[in-house]
Amino acid sequence: MRKFFVRNLPGYAFLTPWLLGFFLLALGPMLISLYLSFTKWDMVGDPQWVGLAQYEYMFLKDKRFWQSLDVTFTYVILAVPARLAFALMIAIVLDKGIRKIGIYRALYYLPSILGASIAIAILWREIFNIDGVVNAVLINFGIQGPNWIGNPDTSLYTLVVLAMWQFGSPMLIFLAGLRNIPTELYEAAEIDAASKAKQFFSITLPLLAPVLFFNIILQTIEAFKTFSSAFIISNGDGSPADSLLFFTIYLFNEAFTYFRMGYASALAWTLLIIIGLFTAVSFYTSKYWVYYENERD
Amino acid sequence: MKKINRRQLLQGMVTGAGCVAAASMFGSAAFAADTRIRHFWWGNPSRDERTYKVIDLFKNANPGFDVAGETIGWGDYWTKMATQTAGKNMADLVQMDYRFLFEYVHRGALLPLDEYFGKTLHLEDFDKSAIAGGMVDGKLYALNIGSNSQVMIYNKRLFAEAGIEFDPIKWNQAEQMDIAKKLSASTPKGVHGIDDATMNPIVWEAWTQQRGKTFYADGKVQAVAADLESFWEYWKEMRESGAAPSADVSVANLGFKMTESGIVTGATAMSQFWSNQIVGVQSLMKDEIGAAMLAHKKGGMPGQFIKPSMFMALTRDTKNPELATKYMNAWVNDPAQTAILGLERGVPASSKVRAALEPNLTVSEKVSVDYFNAIQSSVGPLPPPPPKGAGEVNAAFIRMGTNVILGRISIKDGAAEFIDEASSIVERAS
Repeated sequence: MRKFFVRNLPGYAFLTPWLLGFFLLALGPMLISLYLSFTKWDMVGDPQWVGLAQYEYMFLKDKRFWQSLDVTFTYVILAVPARLAFALMIAIVLDKGIRKIGIYRALYYLPSILGASIAIAILWREIFNIDGVVNAVLINFGIQGPNWIGNPDTSLYTLVVLAMWQFGSPMLIFLAGLRNIPTELYEAAEIDAASKAKQFFSITLPLLAPVLFFNIILQTIEAFKTFSSAFIISNGDGSPADSLLFFTIYLFNEAFTYFRMGYASALAWTLLIIIGLFTAVSFYTSKYWVYYENERD
Repeated sequence: MKKINRRQLLQGMVTGAGCVAAASMFGSAAFAADTRIRHFWWGNPSRDERTYKVIDLFKNANPGFDVAGETIGWGDYWTKMATQTAGKNMADLVQMDYRFLFEYVHRGALLPLDEYFGKTLHLEDFDKSAIAGGMVDGKLYALNIGSNSQVMIYNKRLFAEAGIEFDPIKWNQAEQMDIAKKLSASTPKGVHGIDDATMNPIVWEAWTQQRGKTFYADGKVQAVAADLESFWEYWKEMRESGAAPSADVSVANLGFKMTESGIVTGATAMSQFWSNQIVGVQSLMKDEIGAAMLAHKKGGMPGQFIKPSMFMALTRDTKNPELATKYMNAWVNDPAQTAILGLERGVPASSKVRAALEPNLTVSEKVSVDYFNAIQSSVGPLPPPPPKGAGEVNAAFIRMGTNVILGRISIKDGAAEFIDEASSIVERAS
């Protein structure tokens, strides 16, 4: 035992910064928030133990909780496939050996870097505002466009379009995946006179499955956690009429606008469990459709 | 790229997903030095500039002592305040709002000021009503640093062009309707009479008080659905007659930003504000503006009231209350300091300070002071402090107003649903 420690001490010493960060900034706050989710706490007094009352209120009485789930799931279901389809499409186009591909890759990746920023969210607001760019274009065709952002029926879709536009990082991963598909397979298919579509569905897609799976998981988790763009576009409170009440926005408001830390913690853990469940189900089903070349069983 | 296998993928996933639930707690380092006090306020560029100048004046007059100013916008102010309160690291002096005063006093976060009267704090020139507004349970917890009231700001040029004469202090809601319609008819296309108040909880609160009820009484919702229906019907007529802009235009300013209000963008001739915003609105406009009361109900009760716009309060975390109250005192009494602060935070509560400011007022400041003086006999008493959850009720009002204005719910159902929702929000918050 002692020998083990002496031998590994330098290793742990080098790990210390990470360990400190992990225990103090990740695990510690997580455990505290788990405890808080069973309490009522307004940040000023002391937390009062209320058992499962927060969860009971959430599932049985809180209409806005269900509204926030509705908004978040609608967004995940629309934005993730849209972004991935778009990313795959661009990746396939870029894979065709275009000259100066580096420039195009950088260019297409740009929105993803910018996308997380506040400036883009504000820009998006202006584009889809009632007197924004979109409506200015539409008016040339004699169409008076609606207030895309201000109308609860359309506001969420402007965010889906924003998500689609930020296809850069899954695109890069797809591109790397495409490069890994042996060209012999396509050559063989050409000789057998397989159409491009046939090649895509019989060669590209199956061989890309692990990468696709990776992208689906990452993008879905990302989509569940959508915050900053929605926060800016919805004035920070999910408006208009709660149509942009993402789960994270609701959580943030409960915590930092209404100071219900207990309830907000309960919401955070519910989100963690939802994401965890989703990921577990994806992994479970993946063995039926994801093929790993180097897998041995 | 290396091929990924199932295990590597899983490892990557676990590290990535873990961080969702962790709520971060931030706090700044505590400053324990007794010769130093911290002053924390919500601000805007003009307010911050004035306040830092005042801090410098105080430091020059009191060598050996230091004042640290901290400022942030209204939206983040209460978040930062709550985290600092939780971390037992509040600034010595904080800016306080009427809505939150009682909450903070009852949580034990603020100290009473009574023991400093006549010693470091001198309030002999203060209006009695201004002092009363900062009392909780018979003790003074908050020093009034400005008062204001609701106001309907109107564009004098558009009014003159439409040939409209009216009494801005006495006018009633029927007259307001006629004037708004007339303005829309006589101004160029795209300019309307008045901002739609369907989603405006401040105009609604005045409406309900004109009908003999306060929004809240005894910590419960007292307003009734019938009054809300008549309110929304009134604004529906405004909208449908073209006196107010279309619903799509109105929902574009859900953030209620001054720069996006109808009078500033030129979309309307009248917008509702608080009276300490008159100077700010005028600075954004070329046309001269005037100040009118929110239109009265004919034969009704007063709907408006004069409210302390901001307070300064002493916190339980202060290390040097003598210095802090001395700073407070200079802030509201010192001629040089009050001259710099002017009317930016509202009309000062000290009659002596008001008299000293009078000769040097700008045109828009004069509009503001004249308005304040003119409404004195037409306002009702300050309503009881709103219960916990009032801020949330306002957000709910805006939500339901959005549904009503867009026709997603009928006025009748919307009004009933809002009153229900407001009651349960207040009940849950208490």
